[in-house]
Amino acid sequence: MITSESVSTKKATRDIYLPPERKTVEGGGKSHVVAKDFSIYYGEFEAVKRVSADILSKYVTAIIGPSGCGKSTFLRAINRMNDLIPSCHTSGSLLFDGEDVYGKYTDEVLLRKKVGMVFQKPNPFPKSIFDNIAYGPRLHGMSDKKKLMEVVERSLRKAAIWDEVCDRLDKNALGLSGGQQQRLCVARTLAVEPEVLLLDEPTSALDPKATAKIEDLIQELRGSYTIMIVTHNMQQASRVSDSTMFFYEGVLVEHAATAQLFTNPKDPMTEDYITGRFS
Amino acid sequence: MNIGTRKILDRSFTAVGIGSIIVMAFALMVVVVPIVSNGIGAVFFTGTVEHRKMLRNEFQRGNVEHLASGVASSERYRARVYEILGTFEAELERMEPEKKRAYTSKYSQTRTALQALLGPLPGDRAPMLTRFKYGQTRWEKAGEKLHDLLYESKWDNSNAEIMGKEYFVSRATAFEGTSLAPLFPYIKGNIEKMLLPEFTVYWGFITDSSVDSHFFGGIWPEIQGTFFLAMGAMLFAFPLGVIAAVYFTEYARPGFLNSMLRSANSTLAGVPSIVFGMFGLAFFINTLKVSESKSVLAGSLTLAIMILPTIIRAAEEAILAVPKTYREASLSLGSTKWNTIATVILPAALPGILTGGVISLGRAAGETAPIIFTAAVSVGSAIGLADVLSSPTPALSWNIYNLASEHEAAAQIRHVQYGMVLALVTIVLLLNLSAIVLRARISKKLKA
Amino acid sequence: MAEESTGKSGRSNAFVVSARQRMFQKIAKTAGEGLLFAMASFVAVIVLFIFFFVARDAIPFFQLRGFTEFFTSSNWYPADEPGQFGALAIIYGSLMVTIGSALIAVPMGVAAAICLSDILPFSVRQYAKPVIEMLAAIPSVAFGFFALVVLAPLMQNSGGPMLMWAWWILVSPFLLLAVIVGSDLLTTSIPDEKRRHQAYLLFLALFGLIAVAFLFMVGSLLNGLQIITGTNALNVSIILSFMALPTIVSVSEDALQAVGRDIREGSYALGATRAETIIKTILPAASSGILAAVILGIMRALGETMVVWMASGNSSHIPEPWFNYLEAIRTLTATIAGDMGEADQVTGSARFHVLFAMGLLLLLLSFISNFVSERIVIRQRRILSGQ
Repeated sequence: MITSESVSTKKATRDIYLPPERKTVEGGGKSHVVAKDFSIYYGEFEAVKRVSADILSKYVTAIIGPSGCGKSTFLRAINRMNDLIPSCHTSGSLLFDGEDVYGKYTDEVLLRKKVGMVFQKPNPFPKSIFDNIAYGPRLHGMSDKKKLMEVVERSLRKAAIWDEVCDRLDKNALGLSGGQQQRLCVARTLAVEPEVLLLDEPTSALDPKATAKIEDLIQELRGSYTIMIVTHNMQQASRVSDSTMFFYEGVLVEHAATAQLFTNPKDPMTEDYITGRFS
Repeated sequence: MNIGTRKILDRSFTAVGIGSIIVMAFALMVVVVPIVSNGIGAVFFTGTVEHRKMLRNEFQRGNVEHLASGVASSERYRARVYEILGTFEAELERMEPEKKRAYTSKYSQTRTALQALLGPLPGDRAPMLTRFKYGQTRWEKAGEKLHDLLYESKWDNSNAEIMGKEYFVSRATAFEGTSLAPLFPYIKGNIEKMLLPEFTVYWGFITDSSVDSHFFGGIWPEIQGTFFLAMGAMLFAFPLGVIAAVYFTEYARPGFLNSMLRSANSTLAGVPSIVFGMFGLAFFINTLKVSESKSVLAGSLTLAIMILPTIIRAAEEAILAVPKTYREASLSLGSTKWNTIATVILPAALPGILTGGVISLGRAAGETAPIIFTAAVSVGSAIGLADVLSSPTPALSWNIYNLASEHEAAAQIRHVQYGMVLALVTIVLLLNLSAIVLRARISKKLKA
Repeated sequence: MAEESTGKSGRSNAFVVSARQRMFQKIAKTAGEGLLFAMASFVAVIVLFIFFFVARDAIPFFQLRGFTEFFTSSNWYPADEPGQFGALAIIYGSLMVTIGSALIAVPMGVAAAICLSDILPFSVRQYAKPVIEMLAAIPSVAFGFFALVVLAPLMQNSGGPMLMWAWWILVSPFLLLAVIVGSDLLTTSIPDEKRRHQAYLLFLALFGLIAVAFLFMVGSLLNGLQIITGTNALNVSIILSFMALPTIVSVSEDALQAVGRDIREGSYALGATRAETIIKTILPAASSGILAAVILGIMRALGETMVVWMASGNSSHIPEPWFNYLEAIRTLTATIAGDMGEADQVTGSARFHVLFAMGLLLLLLSFISNFVSERIVIRQRRILSGQ
């Protein structure tokens, strides 16, 4: 049942159904991240079960589902952050740009450069704002001060935080507010010029005002990056995303265009969830 | 039991707990207060003209004119003493043999006491040892020597049941009727004019070398030796300890080998310090032959393995305290593991690691037993940096033991011993205090 | 797929590297980790080396002289020709000061740890902890100097009165407490309230008189004591207990902290006083951790060199009677420290090797106690985490 469901949803995302206020993205819509029967295990426990999905480039994909349903695990699998957990292993295949993420010759460090990630809690380094942003470019060999400054400014502008911090780039990043810190983290990720941006509940630790700013930022970035966002908040998913995946107990129950999934879900379980019958 | 008794028990239980903490604080005070109060006496004290003479002759320091006028005025009063002595010596010559013999020994005792007080008398041969070249340099010691001069101490052993009791016999009465008798009241009355006590601040105690096995001078060679030994130990132990801590926290996988390594670490932490000393002698000196015999190098290596477990533990704790999110953030930006450790984790853990390092530095500076057989000598001058590979050094901790227990005149140089203890305790406590402050600032920073 | 992408870096799928590159990476990683492992296992190598080198120089002694003399005789004349190497009195001296310091430090340390973890408010604890750390930081030679120069003369000159005051101050509160509790316990079985109260007062007066008489008797006995030498086992035990205290306090405080809040709250909810909660529920739960603390503290006292060397009198004989703490003694550590200087010119002689035999004995004792305390701590952690 799961497999047939997945196949049908895959078709649904192929032709994204956009509500009138959202424009189609030029040059987007190619398969960017593709999962085929992809499972993730913690030791014996199968946390993500035989997921098949197709994430389209330059669109925003939201992942929703109750706590512990495997949505974060799935997200973290894409840039192999799960490698930090020793007992974690996978089966099936997960392709990024047509290459196997878990392949024998995959360099996870280079992969993570392509697939950036922003975490639940803002996690700037205890360094200056400039050094935070420049951390990635420096890692990848940029040392020219002028070039670094350009990258820092560009990233901060993209993350819509430049105006707030441009006069205190040398101050410690921990002095910023929570919302600013999170946008700083986005800017830090953008500075390494990734293709995919993974957002793991990026607003769960923020107040409504800061949340709104992050959501605006996601809208800004849509069309330039392939964005995947894990969220608890269904309104947020419906506001920011083009397609939505619903996970339940490790299974991808439904993957469809957001407008369709929230108005006309195919699976009764999805309907129960989005109407708040369980959470 | 009724409720009243239970309450009394409860209160007294609390009282016992608080009492034991108070006792500990009291113990700390009882140990530290005499050390501090007597220790500062090594630098701030009432010095006599003899002290100024000594400073001038041995260290070429002090105001020459002030010294000359002081010596001149003290000689004026001393002249009378020499005159009395001369008269008595002449009288002694004229005495009948039996009486003469009785007085000669008493007189030579008196003379020795006088030499201790005022320095060599006219007609004495120039003494070989520096300690006999000068009279009492410290005013409070001069008081003791004056007492020795005025009274002869004797022991009453008449009652075999209990220990002998000391009692004093006035020398003035012993010489009653001779021409020496006026000496005693004269000295008692004019001692201040003969020694000219002045409040003295002798910073040289910290920066001077010692003269005549610590009778005069300062403790610079010891301070320097302690510094060399402790820094040397850190030089070996700190990098090694931090690297081992990185391995334990970031790379080690749980298993038999890892738990063995951890056991080895705690075993090393529990080895008695004297055993480290034996090991240093048997391994570094007798087997590896890092040096001919004792040397700073051998001592530093021995101290290094002693403080290694402490450093590893502190560094491990500091690294584990770095939030996991830093690691994730760095890795997600495409950083390698090693890069993450070097650029994010270690800088964030650095204050904690330094705290452990500073405490270990204090421990290395204060420890005695490991350096007895490997690095420490009791007398010696300050060594240069070039000699650390081959020569031993005096060190504070070892010389405190040595001066207090093995020096031939330990009781006479108590002020030097106290000064050394104070210097060592100050160094160690300051290091620890800075560690405490450092840690408090870290915890404040993490909370903010 | 891998062959396809080989060498096509610069394309978007640049995260796939060639097989060769991957191999190099793996080799570098393994080599790096191997190097780190080598550095980390240096500690284990040192431990092995310490055992090896101390044992290497200790074994010749037992080959030369056997075990019997060393462990059963107390004739210690290493400089004689032929030398006598009976270390019984020295081992006994070590035990004596260790036990003496434990008797002082353990009750005090555990009480202080309880106080720190359960009684004092956080604001006071903040200041109490540095005091303990300072006590731990003072170098042993400074303690030794204090023992030799301050405490020893004080003891020699006015030891009797000092002991009397200590007796009064330390024992009288406990005796008073014992009187109150004893009278209470003896009278609980009387059913009538009024009679019970009368009996209670009667017992209180009776026991109180006996206690005061006892206090006076022992006090005057102590007051009359003549202390021949101030450098004796008591002096050393007191100072060593200061040095063992910080270890005992901090390790047992950790053990007490590890006992969860819920256990405490459960006990309070049943109407227990704080003392009862601590004694009946927390202490048993933390007992193994406290035992580990005690073992570590005792090891600190047993392995200490400078204090005993300076202030124990260094007299190799078993005191008479055997519990007389007012006599000079000699310990293993002090013997090693003191005799090595004379013995190391004659490497190869029994006189040199006997010191290593003593070192080996100390090393084994410390190893065993460390091992035991580590096991105990691990077991406690396992029990508390409910496995």
